[in-house]
Amino acid sequence: MRRNSRGSWLLAIALAAVAAALPLAFLRNQYNLILLTTVALYGVLTSAWNIIGGMAGQLDLSAGAYLGLGAYTTATLLLRWNITPWVGMFAGGVVAMGFAFLVGFPLFRFRIREVWYALSSSALVVVLQVVFLLWKQVGGPMERLLPSASFSLYNLRFQSYLPYYYIMLVLLLATLFIAYRIRTRRLGYYLLALGDNEDAAEVLGVDARGSKLKALVIYAFLVGITGGLYACIYGFVHTSFFSPTISMEVAILGIVGGLGIIYGPLLATVILVTGRELLRAGLGGRLQSLYLVIYAVVLILIALLRPRGLASLLGAWRKERR
Amino acid sequence: MIVNILQSVADGALMGCVYALIALGLSLIFGVLNIVNFAHGDFVMLSMYLTFWASTYLSLDAVFTPLITIPLLFGLGVLIYYSIIQKTLRERFVVQVAVTVGLMTFLRAFAQLVWEARPRALKFSIIQGNFPLGPFTVLLSRLISASLSIVAVVAVAMFLKYSWLGRSIRAASDDADAASLMGVNIRWTYAFAFAMGSALTALAGGLLMTFQQVDPTMGLRFGLLSWCILALSGLGSISGLLISGVIVGVAEALTVAYWEPRARSLIVYLIFVVILWLRPRGLFGRK
Repeated sequence: MRRNSRGSWLLAIALAAVAAALPLAFLRNQYNLILLTTVALYGVLTSAWNIIGGMAGQLDLSAGAYLGLGAYTTATLLLRWNITPWVGMFAGGVVAMGFAFLVGFPLFRFRIREVWYALSSSALVVVLQVVFLLWKQVGGPMERLLPSASFSLYNLRFQSYLPYYYIMLVLLLATLFIAYRIRTRRLGYYLLALGDNEDAAEVLGVDARGSKLKALVIYAFLVGITGGLYACIYGFVHTSFFSPTISMEVAILGIVGGLGIIYGPLLATVILVTGRELLRAGLGGRLQSLYLVIYAVVLILIALLRPRGLASLLGAWRKERR
Repeated sequence: MIVNILQSVADGALMGCVYALIALGLSLIFGVLNIVNFAHGDFVMLSMYLTFWASTYLSLDAVFTPLITIPLLFGLGVLIYYSIIQKTLRERFVVQVAVTVGLMTFLRAFAQLVWEARPRALKFSIIQGNFPLGPFTVLLSRLISASLSIVAVVAVAMFLKYSWLGRSIRAASDDADAASLMGVNIRWTYAFAFAMGSALTALAGGLLMTFQQVDPTMGLRFGLLSWCILALSGLGSISGLLISGVIVGVAEALTVAYWEPRARSLIVYLIFVVILWLRPRGLFGRK
């Protein structure tokens, strides 16, 4: 058992090293760097979602809400008070966290579960989108451009996508580490028990409300930080950042990856998002949405054929080898 | 002022009847199969496009297109049930969501592929136009849509209550195992309920098209809207569904008229969340 765990750590470090070395293979090609950054970004979102969705079993569809809050907080701090995004993105994380607490507290207090939790979290994204659309001082219907400079460390503007990729990679590793820490502590066992059978877990003395709220708040914090970075990468904020589509996609990637397995959602993201983006680039032109049709079919097939997630494929393979 | 308010309320109420028809389809699928269908709104979107297609390329008026789209959607429902939904019946709830969200993505991308992303509207329908009624203006298309929706909802209610098939659907909804022992073919009944839920969106889509345009992203709005109505009414009450549809429709219309058109979804979701907190079984729920 001990040896096995050390092996996993070595494997994780080796994979992280490969991920860090990957951009060196195509430094000159900005498209590939965008692709890598996108995959890393989705990796953070799905891995963070795994804490509330995978472990605690709450089908959360509000990633877009926290992403947008993080983005708008970062942008507003920079535009109004010239506060650097390095601070702004953590402020974004805190705002997302506070908001998650305000929303999660009554939701869990009134024992809203399953489909109703999923729907109210999805509604939340749309509500925030409208609120920011109408809130003229901060949002509004137009994009808000961040200060354009070709290079500014203070404003987090770079000429290449390379620095963004590395920042995103650091965030991804931090997210995975946090998920791992939670998974191996008491909170993780509580969450897994809740995800398995909420009533049974409560009877055994698990504090359902508190544990779920902790999971939700941690998840919101991580997604909020990602939102701040998201705004810097794109150079603007817009109400379309509060996207129900992205929220659902994050959840579905988490599900087909394997609920509660640390590397599951990341695995699904790396395979599926890369595949989707390559398809998009390859098909392009006239058949603009064909890639989405194919992507959707693949998602449905995985969910039908591998209801335990892609990670279960790896598990089966490891078992066979033993 | 009073006239204006009443006009909005009436418009919203008429719209709400069509919403109730959409929510009835969802209620059948969720109530009978216990499947969480996130793609329901996209069935509505697809129906609207099929209506557009049928009326443009077959030169049929929107009043008659349901004759084509209802069988189409029924067939599609059967196909999707046997190829996808049936395999998720015994799966966990998250897998059902993953599959139906995948289906939703598929339908939306398919619509974009075939009909492109721009909004489409019907050029003409024989039920368009309006007439004055005292101080009010009545939109003919909305009035007819609402009436047809009410007729359809009542017809489905009668069907569920009195026909043999309707009784077996209700039996399967109450207790699938017991119904199966009484000789109800569960698989077939489920397929029928799912297809019927889908076919109802065909009628609703056709009616909506007479006074609205369609674009591929609309599905989400109708999906969430019908879930809201379902939460408001609770399962198992058909008249509750109609009343809830009207409440949502009126709330939307008043928001559009007196506050801000873009805030209409805000009001709907606020109602939704408050109902979930205070009356988790809905206002008229049976179970």
